[in-house]
Amino acid sequence: MTHVVSESCIQCKYTDCVDVCPVDCFREGPNFLTIDPDECIDCAVCIPECPVNAIYAEEDLPADQQHMTKLNAELALLPGWKSITKRKAPMAEADAWKDKTGKLSQLIR
Amino acid sequence: MTAPIDTEALVIGAGPVGLFQVFQLGLQGIHCHVVDALPHVGGQCAELYAGKPIYDIPGIPFCTGRELVERLQQQIAPFKPTLHLGQQVDSIERLPDQRLKVSTGSGCTFHTNTLFIAAGVGAFVPRRMLLDGLSAFEGSQVFAEHPAPERWASQHLVVAGEGDAALQTCLSAIEGPQAAASVTLLHRRDQFSAAPDLIAQMRQACAEGRMRFVAGQPTGLRTANGHLQALELLNPQGDTEWLSLDVLQTCLGLSPKLGPVAQWGLAMERKQLVVNTENFGTSETGIFAVGDINTYPGKKKLILCGFHEATLAAFGAVALLRPAEKTLLQYTTTSTLLHQRLGIA
Repeated sequence: MTHVVSESCIQCKYTDCVDVCPVDCFREGPNFLTIDPDECIDCAVCIPECPVNAIYAEEDLPADQQHMTKLNAELALLPGWKSITKRKAPMAEADAWKDKTGKLSQLIR
Repeated sequence: MTAPIDTEALVIGAGPVGLFQVFQLGLQGIHCHVVDALPHVGGQCAELYAGKPIYDIPGIPFCTGRELVERLQQQIAPFKPTLHLGQQVDSIERLPDQRLKVSTGSGCTFHTNTLFIAAGVGAFVPRRMLLDGLSAFEGSQVFAEHPAPERWASQHLVVAGEGDAALQTCLSAIEGPQAAASVTLLHRRDQFSAAPDLIAQMRQACAEGRMRFVAGQPTGLRTANGHLQALELLNPQGDTEWLSLDVLQTCLGLSPKLGPVAQWGLAMERKQLVVNTENFGTSETGIFAVGDINTYPGKKKLILCGFHEATLAAFGAVALLRPAEKTLLQYTTTSTLLHQRLGIA
């Protein structure tokens, strides 16, 4: 089990989640945050922090987000994706993107 | 180093489950000491859920995190636990007499027969400013722990942050016998999450020249002879500037960190303590783990599950502490003994 960041985070990166993670398991890409499943302890503290409700426990992922479990694990291993432990400003266009769906094609690895 | 405190029971963590552990131990006639890293009780309920609603506490259709903590404090009051707040447990070791020696970072030591780890997702510790080389000055010129005026009396003080704690620190450092020589508030931008009246007071103090605000993102530091002299800042205009200082107090909020639990030699699974579901004992006799810190088949991280765990752990403890006595199940409604312990007899 792990927690998973769903597509809602793409192009937003509000980063409120990283402030509360007790094990520093968030990794930052150009326009998405991912959870390293080997570090996550399923504490669920991050879930209510996300302003766009992007984070789910693996078994609670909506049907159309099931692919994100594997993608989170893959992205967490990419060398360019570094640990992020402190909140920073969201992406400039975050408010415009936050309610959009089907953002997967926008993901930059 | 003061003399060790002898106790039958020690609880690590004063969140809802740690507080309810105190209650259940009290019903069993066991007095306990409680250690928590925060300067107040409540744990996650105080830090993350203080004003947020909780709807799944049995018998309480709705309360906030703060209200739940207040009710638990009221409930445990008859048992008069000794609280050791603002302290973090560093190490646990077994003494030759089989008791446990538990030491905190502030030099407090306990010799306890039973230990209850209700540490949740770890200790809430102040967030540090991340800047290459800055940690070398921690404790001498750079402080993240609770602000204390003696650190900056007659010194040039920079306070980093944007919340209540940062602004309050600035406002108290500009006056009194231990006033700083100068006070500068540092934050990335001219926008604050502090209470409106604190923001107004801060702006007033800036207007009167008693302190100042500098907007900028720290990017580097200047040192000389092992002394921190200045922070390099990138200001909102994109220019680099230098901010001289004697003392840097960071007030960047708190963040939970699992910390040293992993080094206590207890069986773990995915960084959580493995327990049995009979009495929530860990792999070490006399050490119990309750609430978010433990794991077992079917574990759900809910406050109400932690209450159940704490109840059975208290029964487990009394069986260890008073092996000769038969542990009776008594009801608070009818038991004279429990009424005595609750102070209502």
